[in-house]
Amino acid sequence: MNGSIATVGRDIGRILEALGGLMLVSLVVPVVWGEFYALPALLVSAVIPLGIGRLLYRRFQDAEAPGRFHGMIVAASGWFSVGLFGSLPFLLIAWSVQLGLPGFTTPAQTATLAAFTEPLNALFESMSGFTGTGLTMTDNEEVLPRTLQWWRTFSEWIGGVGVIVLTTAILSRPGSGSLTLYESEARSEKIHPSIVSTVRTIWWIFILFTFVSILALWLAGMPIWGAINHGMTGLATGGFSITDNSIATYDSVAIDFVLIPIMLLGSIAFPVHYLILQGDLRNFYSDLQTRWVFGYMGLGSALLWSFLYFAGPYETPFAALRYGLFQFVSAATCTGFQTAVDATNVALGRWPSYAQLTVTFGMFVGGAAGSTAGGIKLIRGLTLAKGIRHQIADVFYPESAIRRLEINGRRLNEEEASREFMEAAIIVVLWITFLVIGTFVLLLTLPSGEYSLANVLFEVASAQGNVGLSSGITGPESLPTVGKISFLFHMWIGRLEIIPVLVTLRTIFQRGGLYR
Amino acid sequence: MTVRDLPVLSSVFEAGADDRVFDSLLLVGPLVIGVIILLERSLITEALALAYIAVFVVYTLYRGIRK
Repeated sequence: MNGSIATVGRDIGRILEALGGLMLVSLVVPVVWGEFYALPALLVSAVIPLGIGRLLYRRFQDAEAPGRFHGMIVAASGWFSVGLFGSLPFLLIAWSVQLGLPGFTTPAQTATLAAFTEPLNALFESMSGFTGTGLTMTDNEEVLPRTLQWWRTFSEWIGGVGVIVLTTAILSRPGSGSLTLYESEARSEKIHPSIVSTVRTIWWIFILFTFVSILALWLAGMPIWGAINHGMTGLATGGFSITDNSIATYDSVAIDFVLIPIMLLGSIAFPVHYLILQGDLRNFYSDLQTRWVFGYMGLGSALLWSFLYFAGPYETPFAALRYGLFQFVSAATCTGFQTAVDATNVALGRWPSYAQLTVTFGMFVGGAAGSTAGGIKLIRGLTLAKGIRHQIADVFYPESAIRRLEINGRRLNEEEASREFMEAAIIVVLWITFLVIGTFVLLLTLPSGEYSLANVLFEVASAQGNVGLSSGITGPESLPTVGKISFLFHMWIGRLEIIPVLVTLRTIFQRGGLYR
Repeated sequence: MTVRDLPVLSSVFEAGADDRVFDSLLLVGPLVIGVIILLERSLITEALALAYIAVFVVYTLYRGIRK
């Protein structure tokens, strides 16, 4: 037991040290923008996790190397700790402005920033950032200090890299999609043999794509500060914006259409990106998940377009295409950028129920495993579909027949097929179970009659799928405290694909120690 | 001493793409964004940004076709 605590403590210590380091790097932003009043708050926010992290690391530095279960607990508790300590900049900067700092000129307090004087709102924002969700406790992002605009963006960007590392290097297991990619018979190449070099490779690909995204958005007409922020959160499929009406603020066709490939980049598995950058362009169509990223997003967008044009709120085919395509891709890649708002067209929450449910389905399935996207992941949906077909077809074969399930170029025997099918089924069942529980909780706590069932289901799927689109429920005042706590849990389990969180909670609640 | 031995460059080359063009894009990216911040939108900065994206796209396609 003590050995496990030491291993977990040591790794959490390293994670907190890294978080403190990221906050120290962010000190550049208040200096550049002249927001000197934010410096003490950001510095204190950095020193706390840095100090605790250093303490934990020193105390347990001789701990044993982590195993798979340690990995799950470190991932779940690490993500929660990062969310917790990552809320400090929101809380402390909001209080700095609220109370004023001797020796510093502070701006007038705004209702938006004042919301973060509530610790729960600050925690919500931070957790939403690090899980790449994008639901927000702000009602007008434009009036936030640049330092906090940056911290929100940076948290999503770091969270994006974190989840790729998590799924491709740390928690890769049968049925998760990541291992599937590595072990493909058609393409047996791993990114790299070791975790360290895999992480390095993910970093350079992510950074390179970030530069390309920023420049593309700027060329499309976005101001450079907006391009930096939206390029980072778009690629990380996070969806935080620095404007009040998300991407709708720009009301630009060019920006809408440039963001679509950026969001798609984030939702394709990074091992596949690596192979493509190595010159293996066939992966665009030979890799099952990548093929389906394009296929299912195309089909979903076409369906949504038809709903929005023939029976919905848009009068021209192009308007229905522009908003339908963007919102479906934004939902299915789990980004959460919004162009459908009342200020420029028709808000998502006022779309017909069947259109909202189509978007909800996109959020449920999500993007590829090994990407920054959320949801159940395409590979699980495909494994389930193929597995069910395989089981049904089994009836028509003689008992002596040896059949194999083929997934992404791999031919699985009975045992392998059963294991992967089972894992995909468990995740999907858990996902739906928590979705239903969350819907009940929200229906019980929201004022009756104010939101439809479609609205509530949409919002919970958005939180659990780490999407961030809102039907209007999430907000500092509109979402009740129980709803905020419930959403914190949904965002957390959604990011970690449920099982590591359940393993961690079981370990915490089971007296007698870590796993026996 | 070669370019690869310089402090910042050495870590980019070590952790980077093991490819001269991608490594260069990684190094030049922050500079291009910095130039845009300083000079704002102009024909020159737009050409710079366009060139950056073009090199990335064309080189990726070139590697694919060559393979």
